[in-house]
Amino acid sequence: MKGKLWVSLLVLIVLGAFLTTGVLAQEKVTIRWLFETDFGGGWKVLIENFEKTHPNIKVEMQEGPSATNTREDMYTTSFMAGESTYDMAYADLIWVPKFAAAGWIIPLGDRLTPYEIAQFLPGDIAGGMYQGKLYRIPSQSDAGMLYYRKDLLEEAGFEPPLTWDDLVEQAQKLQNPPDLWGFVWQGNQYEGLICDYLELLWGAGGELLDAEGKVVLDQGTAAVEALQFMYDVINTYKISPPGVTTYQEEESRHVFHNGQAVFHRNWPYVWTLAQKEDSPIKGKVGITPMVHKEGFQSAATQGGWGWVISKFSKHQEEAWEWIKFATSYESQKILHFYNGYIPTRHALFADPDILKESPHYPDLWRVQINARTRPQHPQYAQISDILQRNLHAGLTGTIKPEEAIKRAAQEIRELLGQ
Amino acid sequence: MKHGKKPFLTDRRFGYLLLLPALLLFGLVIIYPVARNVYLSFHEKSIATGMVESFAGFKHYLKIFTRDLRFRQALGNTLYFTVVSVGIEFLLGLSFALLLNLNFRFRNFARASVILPWALPTAVMAMAWRWIYHDIYGVANDILLRLGIIREAVAWLGKSPLAMHAAIFSDAWKTTSFMALMLLAGLQSIPQELYAAASIDGAGGWARFRYVTLPLLRPVIILALLFRSLQAFAVFDLIWVLTQGGPGGTTETLSVYLYSYTFRYLNLGYGSALSVAIFALSLIIIFVILFFQREEVELG
Amino acid sequence: MKSKKGRMVFFYCLIALVVLFSLSPFLWQVITSFKPSQEIFSRPVKYLPSHIDLSAYSRIFIRHPFGRQILNSIFIASISTFLCLSVASLAAYAVARFKIMGGRGFLLFILLLSLFPPVVLIVPLYEMVSSWGLMNNWLALIIPYASLNLPFAIWVMNSFFQQIPGALEDAAKVDGLSRLGILVRIILPLSAPALATTAILVFIFCWNEFLLALTFMTRDAARTVPVGIAMLSGASQYEIPWDQISAATVLTTLPLVTFVILFQRKIVEGLTAGAVKG
Repeated sequence: MKGKLWVSLLVLIVLGAFLTTGVLAQEKVTIRWLFETDFGGGWKVLIENFEKTHPNIKVEMQEGPSATNTREDMYTTSFMAGESTYDMAYADLIWVPKFAAAGWIIPLGDRLTPYEIAQFLPGDIAGGMYQGKLYRIPSQSDAGMLYYRKDLLEEAGFEPPLTWDDLVEQAQKLQNPPDLWGFVWQGNQYEGLICDYLELLWGAGGELLDAEGKVVLDQGTAAVEALQFMYDVINTYKISPPGVTTYQEEESRHVFHNGQAVFHRNWPYVWTLAQKEDSPIKGKVGITPMVHKEGFQSAATQGGWGWVISKFSKHQEEAWEWIKFATSYESQKILHFYNGYIPTRHALFADPDILKESPHYPDLWRVQINARTRPQHPQYAQISDILQRNLHAGLTGTIKPEEAIKRAAQEIRELLGQ
Repeated sequence: MKHGKKPFLTDRRFGYLLLLPALLLFGLVIIYPVARNVYLSFHEKSIATGMVESFAGFKHYLKIFTRDLRFRQALGNTLYFTVVSVGIEFLLGLSFALLLNLNFRFRNFARASVILPWALPTAVMAMAWRWIYHDIYGVANDILLRLGIIREAVAWLGKSPLAMHAAIFSDAWKTTSFMALMLLAGLQSIPQELYAAASIDGAGGWARFRYVTLPLLRPVIILALLFRSLQAFAVFDLIWVLTQGGPGGTTETLSVYLYSYTFRYLNLGYGSALSVAIFALSLIIIFVILFFQREEVELG
Repeated sequence: MKSKKGRMVFFYCLIALVVLFSLSPFLWQVITSFKPSQEIFSRPVKYLPSHIDLSAYSRIFIRHPFGRQILNSIFIASISTFLCLSVASLAAYAVARFKIMGGRGFLLFILLLSLFPPVVLIVPLYEMVSSWGLMNNWLALIIPYASLNLPFAIWVMNSFFQQIPGALEDAAKVDGLSRLGILVRIILPLSAPALATTAILVFIFCWNEFLLALTFMTRDAARTVPVGIAMLSGASQYEIPWDQISAATVLTTLPLVTFVILFQRKIVEGLTAGAVKG
C-alpha cells in the first residue's frame, strides 16, 4: 500500500517536471485581435510572414461579424471589463476617441519619430489622435468618392459630373430602370449613411459641429438641402432604387458591379474588385470626387482602419512588434494586392507595381489627402446614432427633412449639454 | 423520535437552513442588482465623466419622462409589439390547444411539432428568420411572388412598418407554441364529466366552450398572458439579431435601447435609470393583469 | 356519413397546417444546410438541393471553434441545471414542509421575481463579473442561470412535494432517518419524475439564453452556441455564411428536437404543474 503511494507520487513529480519544462521551452506569446472574415487572404499571408521572423509570437485573428458596430460593441464589452482577451484592436478611426477617453488604449506617438509619422497620410494620422496624442497607427485608408461608368458617359458625350445637378441630369438621361439605375449609394440606417450624408452636407457648405464642438447643423440651409437631395434622388428624380434605403456598401456595390448602375458612391475598394478578370465592368469605370452643390467644393469623408494597443494587454511589446510589421511598406503592399486595401503611406501611391495595376492612384491620392474626418468626440457613437435615426426617418419619408434636421440638432445639443 | 438530541436545530431553523442557498443566489443575482440599479440611477456614470460616479439626483428620470424622444419611441414600439404579438399568439395558441386536445392519430407527433418552436433558441431561430426574410434570396419573397400575393420582392426588414410586423410574425411563430402548451395543460385538467353534464343539459359545441371551457381555463389564460406579456415586453434577442432596432429605430424596443445605452454609449447612470423605469413598467403590467383577474374572481 | 368523412378530411388538413406552420422554418434551415453553396444564392429559390452537400457542416468546425462552443453549452447548461435543481429542491422542501417565510406568500414573491426582464440586471451583473475577473469563465453564466431559473424550479418542485403524504415522512422519522435523510432518501426519489421534468425545462432555458452569454463571453472559444451562431453574421448580406449558419442551427437544435420528441409528455406535465396547480 505504502509502496504504491510512493510510486504514484514519483510519477506525479516526473509528470509535473515535464509539464513545467514544456511550458518553459514554449515561452510562446499569443497576441489576439478581433476582425471580420479575411476575404482576400492577405492577413493570413501577413501572419505567416510575421511568425516566421518572430518565432516567439503567435498572432491570432479571431473572426467576428462584418458589421463594424457589432465589433465595436464586442471590443467595448471586453475593454470595459478590463480583461485581456484582445491585446490590440484593428480600429475604425471613429472608435479612437471613445476608447482613448475611457483609458482603454495606450498612446503610441512616442514610439515613432516625427519623420516616421510623416510617412503616413495626414488624414489617417489625424484620425488616430485624441487630445493631441497619437493612439492609432493607420494601416488602411479610406475616403468616399464617386464611381462612374466611363463607357456610358463617353458614349453620351458627358464629362464626369461636378455638381448635384450634373449628376441628376446625366443619370436621368442614361438610366433605364430597373435594368440600369442612375445612382446607388448607402442609405441603410448605419454609420455609412452618415459618411454619405456628410459628403453632401460639406459639399453644400454645411457643418455638423464647429471648431469649438458646438452643434451648427441646423444653421443655414445646407443640412436640409443635403437630406432633401437624398430624398429626391429616390422619390423625385427617381435615379436611385427605392431599396437604396436598405443598402450598405456591399449591396450598393453589387448593383454597380453587375453593370446595373451608372453612378456609385463608395470607398476605394470597389476599384480593385471592378478590375478583376471576371468583373462585368472591367475597364469601364472611372473615379471622380463626390459631387457638390453648385457654388461649393467637393468633400470626401475620411475613413480608415488602424492598430491600437489595449491597456489591459499583458503583451504590449509583442503587439507593438506586430503593429510595426503590419503597417510597414511591404505589408501594406501585400494587403493592397490581396484585399484591395488603400495604403496609408504616401510612398505606396507611387509604387511602380501598384501603379501598373491601379493607374488611378495619383487621382486617389488627391482624394485621400483632402478627406475630412468625422467629429472626433468620445460620444461620437451616440451622436452618430441620433443622426442616423433622424436622417433615415427623413429619407424614408416618415418625417419631413426640416423636421429631421431640427430634431437631430436638438437631440445632439441635449446630449452634449449645450 | 429522538427528543432533545439537537435542541438547537428546530424544524423552523432547519427550514431556513434549507432555504439559505436559494436566498443567497436571489440576493446575489436579483436583489443586489436591482438595488445597485436604483443607486446608480441617481448618479452620473458614463464615458463623459470618465466612469467616475457623481450624484445626479432625479436628472435621469426627468429626462426619461420629459425629453427623451427615443425612449418614447422605444416604449411605443415595445407596447405595440407586446399587445399585437401576445394577441396573435393567444388566438393561435388557443386554437392549437383545442385541436391538440382532441383524440386523433399522430397526436403525439403533432404535439411534439407544436412544442418545438418554443424549445429552439430564439437567437438562433432569429437568424433563420433573417434568411427567410432576405430580400433577394429569401424564401418568403419567393413563395409570395409565386402565389401572386406580391408583385416585386420586398425588403421585409428594411422598411418601416414592415420590419416591425416581420418581427412580430417571427415572435408569434416562436411563442404560439408556449401559449398552446400552457393552454393545453389547462384543458387537460378540466374534468370530462363537466362536458358530459353540459351535453345532457343540451349545450352545443359553442355553448360548452363558452360556459365550461373558457371559465375553467381562465386562471391558466391569465397566467399565460401574464408570462407572455412580460416576456414580450422584455424582448431582446429576437430584435437584436433580426434588425438591431432599425430601420429608423422603428423596431427598437426598451431592452435594445437600454443595451445600447450601457454597452455602446457607456452611460451606466442613465442606463440604470432606464432599467428602473423598465422595472417599474413591468410592475404596472403585472398589476394591471392581476387586477383584471381579481375582478373576475369577485364577479364570479 | 359523408359529411362526417368530409369533416375528418378538413380536420386532418387543419392539423397538417398547424404542423407545417410549426416546423417549416426549422425544415428550411435543414434544407439550406444540405445545399451546395451555389444553390443557396440562386433565383428562383430552389426548394430541394440537387445533391446533399455536407461541406457546411465540416466548415463550421474548421473555421470556427464550434465544437468548443457546443461543449461550453453542454457543460454550462448541465451544471446550471444541476445547481438550480439542488438549491430549488432544498428550498421547495423547506417551504412545503416547514411553512416558513409565509409559505404561499413567499412563493408569490418568488413568482414575481421571475417575471422581471433580465435585461435590467445586466449592468450590475456585468460590474460584478468583471470586478471578480470572471469574464469568459463558465461561472459567470452558471450562477446567474441557476438563480434566474430558481423561481420556476422552486414553484414546480413545491407543488410536487405538497402531494407527497406527510405520513410517509412520519414513518421515516420513526425508522430513525434524519431530516436531511428524509429529503434525500424518501422525498427526492419519490419526486424523480418531477425532478426530471424540471431539469428538462431548466436545461432548455439555459441552453437558449442569449443576453448574458453575449455580454460575459468575449472570447470566441468561450461562447455558447446561440451567441456563436449569431456572431457568424455580418452587415453585408452577400457575405453572411448562410450555409454554415444553417448547419450550426441544425446541430444546435438537434438535442432539443430529441428532447421534445422524447419528453413531450413530461414537458406538458411540467408546465401543468408550474402553471395550473400553482
